[in-house]
Amino acid sequence: MKFRKRISNAIIYIILSILALIWILPIGYLVLSSFRVEQGSYFMADRETGKQYVMPKAYTLNNYKRLFSAEARKMFDFPRWMWNTFKIAFFTCVISTVFVLFTSYALSRLRFKMRRPLMNVALVLGMFPGFMSIIAIYHLIGLVPGLAQSHAALIMIYSGGAGLSYFIMKGFFDTIPFELDEAAYLDGCTKWQTFIKVTVPLAKPVVTYTVLTTFMVPWVDFIVAGTIMKDKYENFTVAYGLFEMIRVENINVWFTTFLAGAVLVSIPIAILFLIMQRSYVEGVTGGAVKG
Amino acid sequence: MATVTLKELKKVYDGNVVAVQAFDLEIADKEFIVLVGPSGCGKSTTLRMVAGLEEITEGELYIGDRLVNNVAPKDRDIAMVFQNYALYPHMTVYENMAFALKLRKEPKEVIRQKVQQAAEILDITDYLQRKPKALSGGQRQRVAIGRAIVRDPQVFLMDEPLSNLDAKLRNQMRAEIIKLRQRIDTTFIYVTHDQTEAMTLGDRIVIMKDGFVKQIGTPQEVFNHPANLFVAGFIGSPQMNFFDADLIREGDNYKVRVLGREFWLDEERQGILRSKDMDSRRVKFGVRPEHIVLCHDLALEPHFHATVDISEMMGSSVHLHVESEGQEVVIILETIALPDVYRAGFRHGDPINFTFGGNVIHLFDAETEESLLL
Ligand SMILES: Nc1ncnc2c1ncn2[C@@H]1O[C@H](COP(=O)(O)OP(=O)(O)OP(=O)(O)O)[C@@H](O)[C@H]1O
Ligand SMILES: [Mg+2]
Repeated sequence: MKFRKRISNAIIYIILSILALIWILPIGYLVLSSFRVEQGSYFMADRETGKQYVMPKAYTLNNYKRLFSAEARKMFDFPRWMWNTFKIAFFTCVISTVFVLFTSYALSRLRFKMRRPLMNVALVLGMFPGFMSIIAIYHLIGLVPGLAQSHAALIMIYSGGAGLSYFIMKGFFDTIPFELDEAAYLDGCTKWQTFIKVTVPLAKPVVTYTVLTTFMVPWVDFIVAGTIMKDKYENFTVAYGLFEMIRVENINVWFTTFLAGAVLVSIPIAILFLIMQRSYVEGVTGGAVKG
Repeated sequence: MATVTLKELKKVYDGNVVAVQAFDLEIADKEFIVLVGPSGCGKSTTLRMVAGLEEITEGELYIGDRLVNNVAPKDRDIAMVFQNYALYPHMTVYENMAFALKLRKEPKEVIRQKVQQAAEILDITDYLQRKPKALSGGQRQRVAIGRAIVRDPQVFLMDEPLSNLDAKLRNQMRAEIIKLRQRIDTTFIYVTHDQTEAMTLGDRIVIMKDGFVKQIGTPQEVFNHPANLFVAGFIGSPQMNFFDADLIREGDNYKVRVLGREFWLDEERQGILRSKDMDSRRVKFGVRPEHIVLCHDLALEPHFHATVDISEMMGSSVHLHVESEGQEVVIILETIALPDVYRAGFRHGDPINFTFGGNVIHLFDAETEESLLL
């Protein structure tokens, strides 16, 4: 018995290790290469022998310095793009989270005529990839003076449909006993106060989840940012801007700089994750009603 | 502190479920009212209408002199204790109790005092900094009550507050509610399906069935003068004995025929029936197990012959199930008053004779099931 258990454990751990390796390798490669002295693109081949290798031959911080150098910023204004993305992410995150919270609360707690049909329609709509409508949105935005190629436009696109992904939050709200709302009403709360003082604090894990996922959107989106910004170089987000570095005409010179940029991009997201993971993991519903 | 008046209250849920109807009740200031009845009879619905958690379909509800049909729960100045406590899990016990006061923007010091005081009454001062999940069921129930009393509400509502507790704790908490009631002296509406709780707590009891009020009265009234068959059967444990019987009028006098015997009613009952000019009819005859006694003097009328089926020894009393004329009769006998022959216990098949006083019998119309004696 014990032997069999060991064998099965061993197999499980081997599989997990392989998976972990597959996950970590690209990241490791990316980080290592971002400190690489040798320039050049994807393949690292020795100039003389032509032999390919993985580990960089020498390390430097120059790739990172270069990102912020005045010379580079004329072509690729990385700090500015970071700041752009951060701004957009911040507003997208706040607006989206509020939308999701409101939508979920309404669908979970209020009873109105078209509730079910609305929920179904929203669910189906939410399944279409967002960029499907991008051309239509592009033209619509062009109609509004001042909106074309602006950050406001991006924020609107990113957060406008956020309510459609009510599903997880609503599911969570549904698990909060309705008696807690009623107790709050009797204690003197308005619906709004009940929402703010009881429902939202209890939904902390999902609120955190929503904050994280909506904050990430602008950092990884490429299609929408590219379509909206076109040639408006100073308004680029990092995802789209960095990609400029690895276009065919640039890649040989800028590849390692691109990698350095990619590493830096992951830092704010990682920090956010670290800050929020506590409330993400910790459940708070115990002991509400008889358990 | 306030009166509560329910006028022709009616509740129809979506899908035409009539949960409560024709509910008429005037609750006096500081009165303790208990709503009791079997599951699904509309007790919670009534309470929730008073709380404002359920819309009133028809009728009027007054708290004090104020019509509150369309007043939001938060403006009714009532507190409610829920069956499953409904404590805010993300707040400590202290915060739970202080919540309503904070919303009312009372000064911090006042809040601290009130919470402290309530916590002392309920003996929960040691748990004030704990979260609800770190409390036992009984402790949570105390916190739930504490949360209600700090508010000093006009009306105190409780929906089966003890039904989640085990039997011992339930008895203890019941006693504490009686004490609490003496200390905080306000209007209470208390829902339970347990008739013992109803009898021990209520100034008046409202007995409900299928959305209708079957009787309203003090514990003594509903016990001694049940208005109908349902109340007679619901109040008292073990249940009242019922037999099919005939009420027979001879001139201005009434007698009953039951379990193969005929006997004249007592003067009081004769008088009531006479004043109603009641005719002979089929009736349900009721007598409580504790009002039946063993009969040793066979000259006494009426008396009935029976054989013992089973006997349940309860300690201070014996519950005797006997058979007479093919009908089961339950008799409660005080152990201490048992004649020597029965000290050792009853055996299956033992013949006995029993009787009861004329002043303890109940008569209900066989068709309407209403009492003939009210
Ligand atoms: N939200 C609702 N929608 C439809 N019908 C309901 C609703 N709530 C209650 N009812 C019905 O109304 C009737 C009264 O319910 P209520 O909860 O008041 O009973 P109760 O006396 O409190 O019973 P219990 O002792 O089981 O708590 C029941 O028949 C119930 O099925
Ligand atoms: Mg109920």
